[in-house]
Amino acid sequence: MSLPVSDSPEDLQRWRLPRGRHGLPRELVERSQRERLLAAVVKVTVAKGYEATTVGDILGEAGVGRESFYELFDDKLHCMLSAHKILVDGLEERVRQTYLGDEPWAERMRRALSVTLEWFAADPDAARFTLVELSTVGPAFRPTFQAEFARAVALLEEGMGEDGPKPQLAQANSLAVGTILARIYEEVLLGRAAELRRLLPDLTYELLVPFVGEARARAAADA
Amino acid sequence: MPAPDFGATEQRRRIIDAMIDSCAEKTYAATTITDLVARARISRTTFYKEFDDKRACFDAAIGHCIEQLREVAASAHEPDDAPADAVRKGAVAVIEALAARPGLAQLLTGDAIAVDPKVIECYRKATLPALEGLWSGDDGAPRAHSDPRLAFGKAQVLILNQIAIGKAHRLPDLLPEIVYLAVSPFGGHEAALRQSQLAGECTTSNVAAGER
Repeated sequence: MSLPVSDSPEDLQRWRLPRGRHGLPRELVERSQRERLLAAVVKVTVAKGYEATTVGDILGEAGVGRESFYELFDDKLHCMLSAHKILVDGLEERVRQTYLGDEPWAERMRRALSVTLEWFAADPDAARFTLVELSTVGPAFRPTFQAEFARAVALLEEGMGEDGPKPQLAQANSLAVGTILARIYEEVLLGRAAELRRLLPDLTYELLVPFVGEARARAAADA
Repeated sequence: MPAPDFGATEQRRRIIDAMIDSCAEKTYAATTITDLVARARISRTTFYKEFDDKRACFDAAIGHCIEQLREVAASAHEPDDAPADAVRKGAVAVIEALAARPGLAQLLTGDAIAVDPKVIECYRKATLPALEGLWSGDDGAPRAHSDPRLAFGKAQVLILNQIAIGKAHRLPDLLPEIVYLAVSPFGGHEAALRQSQLAGECTTSNVAAGER
């Protein structure tokens, strides 16, 4: 039988422990329970909204007992933020692989953007959970949002390299992250996550203009 | 800045202020009617005379803030200002008003989105016609370099981040980027950069003047 090898959302959905006596080591059982709970919190939160979601709902969806839940998580928020972090870490890893390459900067930006749109389009539930539901968790939202925003800006900066543009705007990198986030957020909110891929040319243009001006941004977007 | 009177009763205004302050301190999700009643120093009965529930009060607070900021933007420029200058002055005035009362910025960019993500549509409705009006010539509607509707979301994310890092009082640090966003849809990249630079210089000189 296949064992979980990663915390990726696909594995979270795919992997289920066999029912009944299975004789698996305790740490594997716990790992499976954790993954089922994380997959469940995404599904239930998207369906009901964070506030209306109860720990009981998550247990029901995951088929895990209350005691096991509290061995793994402090509370609903902890479970929610753990799932959120796994999803965002996965996205960052993919963008990082694409963006930190050897091609010219504008091309790397276009491809990183393409990977990002692809990620959100591939799983609309995860997209909604990551972007929209996070803002409803209360005070924990601000530090989480801030840390992730800072990570994205730092990654953009890291890949600027020798050939990267020298924009006149001091905070052009923040502006770029804001541009991507705002546009994807709105599409996800309107239930159009699955169609995100078609935004690639327009969003490439919007993203590049502050760095390279209108003519060069248009050329890169049409490439 | 004189507080415009929108016909709100004194009590109603106190409750709205309580909502803004409580959201700033602990977010909308954590705010209770008990918090609002205590902050506004009114009775529960009075609260329910003015509003059906917490959400109705929140919506009134959002409407109040949008109206106030629209007023601020509109009175920041002269009739004979060029469109790009008028937009820069409006954007600077709005950011300064938000910096003076960070709770407003928190309410409009953080909580409003969490409570009703479609609120950004309200900002557009309140602002876009005025923006288009500034740039329209005799030959009708202006040509757009980029979608002006998207500028709001981008500005919102930048302001939200500034609040999240605990620098709401230093919102003017964002002026070059916010002015760029405000001017570029109809003014284009080059004009937006020029206005952005002007806005940056004006904040630097303000800071210098404040330090003397």
